[in-house]
Amino acid sequence: MPSIIELKNVCKSFGKTEVLHNIDFAVQEGEVVVVIGPSGSGKSTLIRCINCLELITTGELIVDSIRIPAEQGRIRQIRLEVGMVFQQFNLFPHMTALENIAFGPRKARKMAKNEATEIARNLLDKVGLAEFEDKLPGQLSGGQQQRVAIARALAVNPKVLLFDEPTSALDPEMIGEVLDVMKNIAKDSGMTMVVVTHEMGFASQVGNRLIFMDDGRIVEEGKPGDVMKNPQSERLKDFLGHVKHH
Amino acid sequence: MDFEFSVITESLPALFEGAKLTWLITILGITGGMVCGILAGLGRIAGTESLGEKPHGIFKPISVLIRYLSSGYVELIRGTPIIVQAMFLYFAFPMLVKAVTDIERFRIEALTAAVITIIVNAGAYIAEIVRGSVISVNKGLLEAGMSLGISRFQLIVHVIGPIAIRRMIPPLGNQFIISLKDTSLFIVIGVGELTRQGQEIMASNFRALEIWLTVAIMYLIMTTALAMTLRHFERKMKMF
Repeated sequence: MPSIIELKNVCKSFGKTEVLHNIDFAVQEGEVVVVIGPSGSGKSTLIRCINCLELITTGELIVDSIRIPAEQGRIRQIRLEVGMVFQQFNLFPHMTALENIAFGPRKARKMAKNEATEIARNLLDKVGLAEFEDKLPGQLSGGQQQRVAIARALAVNPKVLLFDEPTSALDPEMIGEVLDVMKNIAKDSGMTMVVVTHEMGFASQVGNRLIFMDDGRIVEEGKPGDVMKNPQSERLKDFLGHVKHH
Repeated sequence: MDFEFSVITESLPALFEGAKLTWLITILGITGGMVCGILAGLGRIAGTESLGEKPHGIFKPISVLIRYLSSGYVELIRGTPIIVQAMFLYFAFPMLVKAVTDIERFRIEALTAAVITIIVNAGAYIAEIVRGSVISVNKGLLEAGMSLGISRFQLIVHVIGPIAIRRMIPPLGNQFIISLKDTSLFIVIGVGELTRQGQEIMASNFRALEIWLTVAIMYLIMTTALAMTLRHFERKMKMF
């Protein structure tokens, strides 16, 4: 299987502070990689680098055969293939659920309005929100907003989806509905996913690989079950002791 | 104290002429001021993350230059009184032109000077309103749009713009009303606007109470009309 994402010796600094140290990391097509780690360990920065919301400082990043650093136009090309779901949903507040989803296909993929709307309707149905198409984000619950955000990311038909703590801003009773949608995407479409989360249940059920990061480094990785059962480092043991199991 | 209604009715035609001029200066002034304000407001944040990604290559020094020019304009205008700006434009600027060029009879019409002064003055304040509204838009929305592969220009037009415009309306209402009232200062360069008309009638009949009361009410009617227009726009926009 070819790697769709490859990071070689990647470092990322903000000013003088280096937050990612010499990361080597690859994701195969169709793989679901779950990234865990304490806050400030660089997990979010890692996935933000993958779709170039942060530009890597040194090293090499190859996404869908496009090599970074690249010129601006090719960065947009990468982003078309790598969708992202955010902790704070970031839905466009002045657009309805349907418009939020159709916006990407229309503007990034240059589709006709009715074609984009059709795609948006199907996706809204897929995330179980068909009857909410005319609602503004402010009229939806957190869980519903995040499901719309997932549909929006899927609408431009990316090859990879990145999730940056998608359930961390949700009330506990809404976490399940979002995780269910994510599980379905992984199972049905064989989507390549990189998920930063603290949901260990999700990691063991859906993840093909678990990565534990600490202090800007990948400390441990392997099959989720193995890594969770037999943590090698003290840091991971300590961390696993602190996360809740759902 | 006697209050003569006939004084008011007699002076109304002249006051209406003044009010028309006040309205003309205001409308031209804030229209031009909006153009200046949007350019300078966006100019002050050119090349920053508020408008998408930071520029690369040649665009980097260009954006720095645009930021400095816009900031210089805003600070210069905010830092000096509007009446001084009007006097400078009307009296001093033609002398300056004469001194540095061969043009002998250069002068600016009082009305033109008044309109330009409002444009330039309102523009500086509107620039800050525009800048404030744009930087208040949640950066996450830009990131979400960029992560979909949408261009920065499209995001400014369809996401940042619509959200920022809604936030601009209340402070813009303030500024439009201030600009309208500022036109009364052009009495000093002899523009026949409402305050000057009132002053002239008053100088001939000494009926201060009737005249200034009428003038005040006419200003109030005009500012209320401006405020109501903006309220109308505010209601028409989909709120969230």
